[in-house]
Amino acid sequence: MAEPHHNVIIGHGSAGNGAATTLRERDPDCRITIINMGSLPFYNRYDLPRVFQDCDDWRDILAHPPSYYDEQRITLRRNSRVVDVDGRARTITFAHNEVMHYDRLLVCAGGRGYLPEELSDYRHLMHGFGSFEAAVSMREALSDGGTVIMLGGDMIGLDLARTLVATGRRVVLVANDYTFWPHRVAADERDGHLHALTHMGIEVRDGAHPIAVEAVGESGSARRLVFEDGATLEGDVVMPFYGLVPSVEFMLRSGVDIERGLLVDPWLRTTDENIWAAGDVCQIWSDEEKAYRFYYGWTNVRVMGEVVARNVTGADETFAGIEDERLRVDEKGHIYSPFWEH
Amino acid sequence: MKHNDIQIAICGSAGDGTIAAGDILKRAMARAGYKVIAFDLYPAEIRGFGKCVARVRITTEQAYSLKRHSDVLVSLDDSHAIPHVGEVRDYGAVIYDDNPIARLPEGGHMTAHVRPSQVPYGLSQRQISELATGAGRSRNIVILGYLAGLYGFPVAQFRQVIEAKFRTKAAAVTEGNLRAFDAGFEAGAATFKLDDVVLAPPAHGEEGAKTIMMTGNGAVVRGCLDAGIETFFGYPITPATTIMERLAREMPKRGGRLLQTEDEISAISATLGAGYAGARAATATSGPGLALMVEMLGLGVMAEVPAVVFVSQRGGPSTGMPTKTEQSDLNLAVFGGAGDAQRIVLAPTNVEGCYRCAGKAFELAEAHQTPVIVLMDLYLSNRYETVVPPAANPFAPKGAKTLDKVTAGETYRRYAATADHVSPRTLPGQEGGMHAITGLEHDEFGRPSDQAKVHMAMSAKRHDKLKAAVEHPDLTVCKRFGDEGPVDVGILGWGSNFGEILEAMYATQDEGIRCAAMKVVMLSPLPLERIAAFLADCKEVLVPELNYEGQFANLITGALGRPVTRLTRVTGAPMEVEEILQVVRSLAGARTAA
Repeated sequence: MAEPHHNVIIGHGSAGNGAATTLRERDPDCRITIINMGSLPFYNRYDLPRVFQDCDDWRDILAHPPSYYDEQRITLRRNSRVVDVDGRARTITFAHNEVMHYDRLLVCAGGRGYLPEELSDYRHLMHGFGSFEAAVSMREALSDGGTVIMLGGDMIGLDLARTLVATGRRVVLVANDYTFWPHRVAADERDGHLHALTHMGIEVRDGAHPIAVEAVGESGSARRLVFEDGATLEGDVVMPFYGLVPSVEFMLRSGVDIERGLLVDPWLRTTDENIWAAGDVCQIWSDEEKAYRFYYGWTNVRVMGEVVARNVTGADETFAGIEDERLRVDEKGHIYSPFWEH
Repeated sequence: MKHNDIQIAICGSAGDGTIAAGDILKRAMARAGYKVIAFDLYPAEIRGFGKCVARVRITTEQAYSLKRHSDVLVSLDDSHAIPHVGEVRDYGAVIYDDNPIARLPEGGHMTAHVRPSQVPYGLSQRQISELATGAGRSRNIVILGYLAGLYGFPVAQFRQVIEAKFRTKAAAVTEGNLRAFDAGFEAGAATFKLDDVVLAPPAHGEEGAKTIMMTGNGAVVRGCLDAGIETFFGYPITPATTIMERLAREMPKRGGRLLQTEDEISAISATLGAGYAGARAATATSGPGLALMVEMLGLGVMAEVPAVVFVSQRGGPSTGMPTKTEQSDLNLAVFGGAGDAQRIVLAPTNVEGCYRCAGKAFELAEAHQTPVIVLMDLYLSNRYETVVPPAANPFAPKGAKTLDKVTAGETYRRYAATADHVSPRTLPGQEGGMHAITGLEHDEFGRPSDQAKVHMAMSAKRHDKLKAAVEHPDLTVCKRFGDEGPVDVGILGWGSNFGEILEAMYATQDEGIRCAAMKVVMLSPLPLERIAAFLADCKEVLVPELNYEGQFANLITGALGRPVTRLTRVTGAPMEVEEILQVVRSLAGARTAA
């Protein structure tokens, strides 16, 4: 009797989790392994703002109880970072020196927050928001009614800003070209959208160029942002939101084509027949645009995970992103992004 | 989730410092005022390939055994630790090396085995050790620092214990290990804590810190010394060897004499000789050694010579499993030997009991002029517990029923009939005390005799003189715990696994089952009246023990005729509380259904 196919999924965000669930539905016998760099089982990142509301325990934001993985016979590898993929040998190598064989590899590794080079020396003085641990650490650094200095302000950051303002915190947005990323906002719409942010309770500083972050206060727990013109701005935390960079470094020797992300066709196949990709890590060929492009937003990412799993198990389905990607100002005068839908 | 009770298991390969790490952990936490029970599993081999597991249960209130599930598993070697992942409870933690040197096959790393309900913590153990000390050897100390940083354990006590542990080494060794601890602490403190393992401050604060850590064998040594042991003869055998090793260090300081003999037969012979000469004398061995000693024990019974024999059982028969625990020498201890050779057999159930039984064994041996066996096992010998040292020495000085002076003109009768069946004895060289002593049956003067009436009388004397032992005023020969009056299930236990029995009994009470437990410390002669009274209160009786045949159950049913349910295991490991619990539930359920 032949060994069941080993489907390995790198990444445990919406795409990876959706892919695993769909794989199990369509192939009850296959072996599924999810590789996750984080410590926790899957939770939706869009739930992270709940740590400022009612969520103190990571168990409360899990999408599935831990028993789900046993029930679905999904092996969950946490705290595991892939450093190399060998497409010819169909093996992946972990940072902890373990080698694993796969039959089909689904790369759903997502992206990591981008930080401009001029601010990279100050990374240790800034707070991220990419995981439950980061969210809680940021909350603990932020006093009630405290101030968050948000740099850039992509749509992930602005989603958080909504919650912070609603829970009584002050948010100062240092706006720049990354504000509203990944939306492309026309120049004539930009002021209106920034005004909408102000209407939402977010303080906006546009055109100021930060060059340094300093630790201030008695214990050094507060932060001061220094601008190019010498002006400063103080707050409890500084958070960069400059959009995402696809996490593809571990794929460099895999043999698949990479531009900024992994290049896949509309069926989400890479140039290696055994390697597929979904989510923020991949650029998908668009016949309409005659170019590879990224698709963002929770809905797009989840659907990509489901589509890739169906295609891996024999379907013939192309991915089509959500139709209307435009950033809007709703009837309350608030910014609204279809990428926030989930 | 209880915050007053956590158990940490450290697992590695022989040579990784697993047992040493567990030792520092338990001593530091005991020094901080916590109650601690610890037990190590280690291979028979000295170094290089066997599995070592150190389990430490840390509580704010008294506990009686290790828990089935640990709250934290620390892996120093994934190949050994992976099979133990299932022992970690949900939302407990698994700590492992996230940067091992060797290239691992698929599934060879801990991350492949941590269950979704458990919290994984990867730690670059070797790298941290190398950065702190220049070498990777202090990984075991790094993980102690990590535990202290992650869970807020008291740092000062760890540093004190580390300094004490390495005080005989070069100063650089101590300093290096302290640096390794500090580096691990820093990593632990910086780790985002995701598990729900929390330990409250010790309940008794500074008072609690007055307790000391001891193993069962350590407690035996302390009991021997406090009882004024004068001579010890022994031959090394696992798991009893440490008794002789420690006495060898301590006895000369107190004027005592210790000799390692050429074998166990020589050891018991010399012990009996010293006892005959009036010294408080003892030997220590394990089952195979006791098998060699039984002939001479018979001489001790026949000649009515006081002697103490400490027996730490291990897996048998024959050489068996030297580093695994078992309770399968009960028959040998109680019945072993030729003829009707009843002797006193005590089986302590915890470390404090080892201390009391050790000291009282000398008193009993003298008072009843007979060999006394103190029956332990590897689990109890090597188990660490926190105990409160007695405020005053609880043991009587020697001299029970010796005859200071023989009346002039009267012939001394060494085996004279008396009301308590114990004859006054003289010591060799005492004027007028000359008498014959032999393994042959003898009359009151010690002269050989095979007359029926002599053998009848002397057999009765040798048995009847022991009856008073069960009424000892200052030794717990048996004790009942739990619900008073009639109960659904009574658990009768002896020796090392009574801690598990107590834990199971309290757990069943929490479930609403009427349950009681009795520990029997004196296995020979049995305190039958009190056991019978207990059994009369029990609708069902369960006897859990670590042997195949149910030797204690046989002893009880043979003596009292009461049917009992047996729970026997020979896994080489202590019995699990859950195993006992399940049988109690089953018995209680069956009783309710009936």
